[in-house]
Amino acid sequence: MTELFVVITVIAVALIFDFTNGFHDSANAMAGPVATGALKPRTAVILGAFLNLVGACLSTEVAKTISGGFFDDSLITVPIILAGLVGAILWNLMTWLFGLPSSSSHALFGGLIGAVVVGAGLASVHGWVIVSKVLLPAIVAPLVAGIAAAWATRLAYRITRKTPSVHTNTGFKYGQAFTASMVALAHGTSDGQKTMGVITLVLIAANLQASGTGPQLWVIIAAGVAIGLGTYSGGWRIMRTMGKGIVEIETPQGAASGAATSATILASAHLGFGLSTTHVSTGSILGSGVGRGAEVRWRLASRMAFAWLLTLPGAGLVGGLAALLADQGVFGVIALTVLLAGACLVIYVLSRRHRITHANVTDSHEVLVLTAATPTTYPDDPRLEAPPKPKKAKKPKAKSAA
Amino acid sequence: MHIDWAALGVVTVVSIATSVIFTILLASGIRFVSAAKIKSNEGGSGAAIISIGYVLLGIAGLLVLFGIYLIVPQFH
Repeated sequence: MTELFVVITVIAVALIFDFTNGFHDSANAMAGPVATGALKPRTAVILGAFLNLVGACLSTEVAKTISGGFFDDSLITVPIILAGLVGAILWNLMTWLFGLPSSSSHALFGGLIGAVVVGAGLASVHGWVIVSKVLLPAIVAPLVAGIAAAWATRLAYRITRKTPSVHTNTGFKYGQAFTASMVALAHGTSDGQKTMGVITLVLIAANLQASGTGPQLWVIIAAGVAIGLGTYSGGWRIMRTMGKGIVEIETPQGAASGAATSATILASAHLGFGLSTTHVSTGSILGSGVGRGAEVRWRLASRMAFAWLLTLPGAGLVGGLAALLADQGVFGVIALTVLLAGACLVIYVLSRRHRITHANVTDSHEVLVLTAATPTTYPDDPRLEAPPKPKKAKKPKAKSAA
Repeated sequence: MHIDWAALGVVTVVSIATSVIFTILLASGIRFVSAAKIKSNEGGSGAAIISIGYVLLGIAGLLVLFGIYLIVPQFH
């Protein structure tokens, strides 16, 4: 009975991870088209969600292992999976709060590694695999996609230099919509199966499913729906950073960066050197900005790079702490779930202070968390009704009269 | 410890080449179609130019289809 309870909890948490995976990565495909207006924000996320769902249902070859070679498969237990998922979810939510794109797979690996370290010691983790599967790709992905996007952007502008912008806008918007759809579909096939793999593994570990069999139909549908719903909910904070924050995206540039993103993702998936979708699409957008000669906000880019470096240890730390609780039997699991729910709620409440939705995603380039974090504020902020600090209040005060 | 440098090199070359080729096809297609429209607006015949444009866009479309073929595992 208690075992069944734990299994159900882990499956629920796995689906929550899948949801955060969806809304964290929604921007990878759709930030470009939303920023240039190739797709309306609502249309973009509905299309993205649908393609993610389709992709998840298409993927047949579910990853048999979720350890990724970072540690021995035999070390994986149900509490470790739970702790790893908790670490990944919290890291995804925290980076979302700050509007920072970061790799969901790195978060999941980080959470699992942290949990394994707590359970089996530091020596059980293969350090070199971290270098070859996390560090190196994190440097290579933005470089390759960035160079591809920079060249493609430069060519796109050069070729259509004398073409009227009415024609280029329409043409490139179609190109953008197609490449974005490919990225969304590819995302569904690759990331949807991650959660299916986790759930199937848990079911097998609990003897509810025969070892060596593939995921059951309801698992496929549940995982597809969770990642689709996540994509539909949009992750507008990250969408703003990627579509507006790094660089202003023009239509030809958006088409070129979309082409670079889908080409690099497909090449990496089929030619044997795995790259993170998030790192690839961020690199494309950066590169396309350089290629157009636009003003790239390098400070934001370096903050993102910092978040990428922190993803594995950050999620690992949370995963490790979670593992301490998850190991304490059924009460530990209950306590962990309650803590997870509480933390999610806190992050959600914090995010409400500066809401970003489909309606205002392209209005500004900044993702604010706390007013104190940056001197500029939104005029519609209710707290501006009371006069804030005299120095910073000048501009907003005048606008809040309306 | 093993890093697959060959795979890394192939991925780099293929990614950059495909992005550039796709963009050239798309941008040139747009340019030709636009030029044909302008020409026919001015009273000339843009039939030859527009067909070149559509051929280029068609090849770009084939690249998209090939991408979908790669994504969907049931196809291979």
